[in-house]
Amino acid sequence: MKSIVKYLAVIMMTIFLLAGCGKQPTEEINAAKASVDAVMAEGAQKFAAEDAKKLNDSLQAAQDELKVQEGKTFKDFAKAKELLAKAKADADVLKTALPAKKEEAKKNALAALEAAQAAATEAKALLAKAPKGKGSRADIEALKGDLEGMDDALAEAKKASDAEDYSGAIERSNTVKDKASAVADQLKKALAKVGKK
Amino acid sequence: MQSIIIRTLILSLLIWLSGCTVPPLPPEVKLSEEQELNLWRSGAAVYAAEGYDRYRLSFRQAKEDLIKEQSRWVWFQDYRVVQSEFRAVLKSGVALQEQVAQQKQIIKERIFPQLSSLKSRIATLKGITAAANEGRLARKDLIRAELLLSEAADRFAGGDYRAAEAKFKDLSGYLKAAEDALLPVLDRFADSSRIKKWRQMADRTIAESKDRGIKAIIVNKSEHLLVLYNNGAPLKTYNVGLGRNGYFDKLHAGDNSTPEGRYQIIKKIPQSRYHKALLINYPNDEDRRNYLRAKRKGLIPAGTGIGGLIEIHGGGKDSMTYGCVGMDNESIDDLFSLVSVGTPVTIVGAVDDNNSLSTAIKGL
Repeated sequence: MKSIVKYLAVIMMTIFLLAGCGKQPTEEINAAKASVDAVMAEGAQKFAAEDAKKLNDSLQAAQDELKVQEGKTFKDFAKAKELLAKAKADADVLKTALPAKKEEAKKNALAALEAAQAAATEAKALLAKAPKGKGSRADIEALKGDLEGMDDALAEAKKASDAEDYSGAIERSNTVKDKASAVADQLKKALAKVGKK
Repeated sequence: MQSIIIRTLILSLLIWLSGCTVPPLPPEVKLSEEQELNLWRSGAAVYAAEGYDRYRLSFRQAKEDLIKEQSRWVWFQDYRVVQSEFRAVLKSGVALQEQVAQQKQIIKERIFPQLSSLKSRIATLKGITAAANEGRLARKDLIRAELLLSEAADRFAGGDYRAAEAKFKDLSGYLKAAEDALLPVLDRFADSSRIKKWRQMADRTIAESKDRGIKAIIVNKSEHLLVLYNNGAPLKTYNVGLGRNGYFDKLHAGDNSTPEGRYQIIKKIPQSRYHKALLINYPNDEDRRNYLRAKRKGLIPAGTGIGGLIEIHGGGKDSMTYGCVGMDNESIDDLFSLVSVGTPVTIVGAVDDNNSLSTAIKGL
């Protein structure tokens, strides 16, 4: 009888030990959520959209595993902890990399703006020297209007850049640069005809 | 007895432990996860938003059912129902992929001709600004439209059709602004009753030239032409420029418009700041009536007179005068030698319903 009780006790202890894997990893859950939220707040969805999507999916997978274990009698959160740790680690890595990505995007936007501004400035300078002879004054007026429109577009590009819409700023700047360069080329040809430099 | 109980308990424990081996998930689960990611990448949320939402709901539902199944005791786990759920998700995902591809194609086919027609419309309007010399009013809007068209074309080339189409709204706004600036000028030249009145004025002048055996000048604004008649027959034709607002009829001083009506040369100026000049007697009686009528309606700025000193002069045929008719110096030299004080000068907008500006409007 004594040995039956002894063996029963061993078995019950074993069972309770195994069932003891069943504490919800609250700390790990909060840490993973905090890390993912932090990186989203830094603009991950804007500057690293696919990485952000995969991160959300990882966190969801971890939460799904938590739900699976919650539904069990004998819970084992080891896998859930592993998934949460990975989600947190990935979020932290992305958070570290994000400022560099943003900075790179910002740098590219500013470079595009500068290039467009330079093209517009060159076109205006050439326009000022344009031959004001027969038949050209109306063309000069028209080109002035074009360059004013480009200035407005550049102002919008700058606004976009300030609002961290760097791809929008680059897109607008590049089209202005192309148009301004085309105007400059037109004027250079006209000046070359009359022998001015 | 004791040993039987012990063996039973150990056997139960062993069976229970062996039951912790988790059966494999159906392969459809992983496939669905990959499919969902690919649909996201393909822009399903943009091109088939409703379908994508439904897909995600069914995917999520399948996942929740999978979780419930996974939570069961291993001996009671049966993934067959969940597997068929995920198969249904995969099937709907394939249909959704096709829908996304179709939608992209539809938008692509919708946008492509619009890109061409917008390009053509912008080019037409730019041509009109050159003809109408309304660069100040319309060119800024036109260049904004052109820049947006470039952006739309780039997005189209990159397969981002929704983004390309999204540019059209602002683009159309700028085009409308340009047209709104130009149309008041151009509509005058598509007005048949107005053109008839102008034609009658020109015909009376030609008749007078014939009847009196004199020279007469007719300026046709739409074509930028000055025709010198002698005895009712065209003698010479010159290209001319107009005022900065030359396509409007002059109403008051400073409006930069070239007047329309029947006038005559009242002074020949051999040494003008514009080489040579022929002064005409603007304003005539009709001009005065129009001015007073406009003044009563409050259309004339306070303190603004009717204006005067309208000439046909040299200095170039750029349409950048304050309202005068401009010619090259060689042309004014020639004309100056052929006309005299008293020569009739009739300035009209157009004599033909199908004139340069009315046909330009049709291109819009």
